[in-house]
Amino acid sequence: MRNRRTVGGRIGLAISSTLVILFVMAPIYWMLATSLKTTAGVAASPPQWFPIPVSVVNYVTAFTQYNFGQYILNSVIVAVVSTALVLALGTFAGYALARLPMRGRFTIMVLLLIISVFPAIALIAPLYLLMRNLGWLNSYQALIVPYTALNLPFAIWILRNYFIGVPREMEETARIDGAGPFRTVWQVVLPMTLPGLFTAGIFAFTACWTEFLMALSFNSADAFRTIPVGIALFGNAHITPYGTIFAASAVAVVPIAILVLIFRKSVVSGLTSGAVKG
Amino acid sequence: MTTTKVAAPARRSGPNLGEQRKKDVYRRTMARLGWGFSAPALIVIAAVTIFPIVFSVVMSLSNVNVLGSGFQIDGFTLDNYNVVFTDSTWQYALVFTVGYTIVTVVVEIVLGTLIALVLERLQAGRGWMMAMLLVPWSLITVISATLWDYIYDPLAGVATQILSVLGFGHPVILGSPASAIIAMMIADIWKTTPFVAIIVLAGLVMLPGDVYEAAELDGANGWKTFWQVTVPLLRPTIALAVLFRVLQAFGVFDLPFVLTQGGPQNATTSLAILGYRAMFTDLKFGPGAAVATTTALLVVLGCLLFLRVFRSQVSETEM
Repeated sequence: MRNRRTVGGRIGLAISSTLVILFVMAPIYWMLATSLKTTAGVAASPPQWFPIPVSVVNYVTAFTQYNFGQYILNSVIVAVVSTALVLALGTFAGYALARLPMRGRFTIMVLLLIISVFPAIALIAPLYLLMRNLGWLNSYQALIVPYTALNLPFAIWILRNYFIGVPREMEETARIDGAGPFRTVWQVVLPMTLPGLFTAGIFAFTACWTEFLMALSFNSADAFRTIPVGIALFGNAHITPYGTIFAASAVAVVPIAILVLIFRKSVVSGLTSGAVKG
Repeated sequence: MTTTKVAAPARRSGPNLGEQRKKDVYRRTMARLGWGFSAPALIVIAAVTIFPIVFSVVMSLSNVNVLGSGFQIDGFTLDNYNVVFTDSTWQYALVFTVGYTIVTVVVEIVLGTLIALVLERLQAGRGWMMAMLLVPWSLITVISATLWDYIYDPLAGVATQILSVLGFGHPVILGSPASAIIAMMIADIWKTTPFVAIIVLAGLVMLPGDVYEAAELDGANGWKTFWQVTVPLLRPTIALAVLFRVLQAFGVFDLPFVLTQGGPQNATTSLAILGYRAMFTDLKFGPGAAVATTTALLVVLGCLLFLRVFRSQVSETEM
């Protein structure tokens, strides 16, 4: 392999790695530091480099003066239910498209690919009118149904690729043993495709957790705001309460950060699945 | 590269016709089961995507009257497209969105590749670095946009402070068109470069080691090896990253909505911001639908074009 052991090479590597860490983490540090400052510290000019004195007033404000607890709850409900639906529906569809002899499977997969690149802005107005006619504006289903639909194509693609990798003999054996198609999928195929489920799940969850345009358009009432909408509409036109927003943000980052760290490998394999598979 | 090869099930001509019939019946049952399995997913997807797309196209080609209780579609017209195409705001938004997409994606690919090359050389801690790169990716865009808004704040902002120390006076970064555009691009580059780096790194790790040994034996230096060995082998990976990023950047909405509200003087008004404003602020559903439809069409056309070019490249490298 290439020569990596010269002293100069090592120093260069150390410097460039440090630069990478600084580039990625400096804004994150700034968010966390600001969330721990006092109100005067947040507005200080020139800025305070460190949150001294440390204060949790922003965290208290986010949950007492603002409805941030409710926003978190809304986000969790919407993201968890949507992800569960994506995985349930996507597993069966992905299995059928990988294995069962339907006509037009190729066309369906191409259509799914085209749908998944459609910009959300093209869908938003008709969906808004549809939601209004159904009386669904400001409700959980107003987000759960579109989130499920929009995250299904990618999940179906991922899961189909994993299903294709399961040896057919295993299913034959299960069938000879008298297992029906549902039981075959549930007991034989699914356990072998767990990594695919993790990947599809973490992607669907992250997409639901961060989605803004639809949440803003359909659920702007305070009781149904998700975290992004709640944060975007914090404060008023004249004052942006940065400290409070960053305290709320720090709390909002925790669940997704834990999930992403646990399923790190799944995320990376999902990001590169197009390059790896086939 | 493609995973779309669906093998046609071989129809074996068995000696026993009864056996063949049995197999056909079984196949038909299985095909029906397949449709049953996929129906729920396909119906949900169609309801949320196909219906709105068709409706958007119809609305963009109709006279839409906004009434107190809603709106009414009244006759075919091309006026909406005419209004949109001749509107200087739309023309600017199109140029801005294309330019923004090109600049951010190019910078992100170059920077992301550099980061991936650094991380690939690390002998320890690569897992932690990967985890760190996922933090900006998983951050809600509204949050990162607010964070950058604070960084650019005229009074308490770090960026403002740094610029004034460097002798640029005390600029209002988001107050003038040029600096607002650059500021928005920086915020985007920060959030999505790590994503590109992860994809490229995964591609780098999978490159076969023996081609490097061969290059070394041939006496190629590091620079030459990079351009003549690494880059060609990485091309499919980079193409994938470009595709992901172009699609996202072209629909950019959250970042300008929070950071600049499309301003100052519409300088950061993307096509998505324009479409949203037409429909939800001005209640101009016809022109709004025309903006949305054109944007979607551009994305799909761009995508197909990209796949065409890309596919020929893949077969080239396979030869």
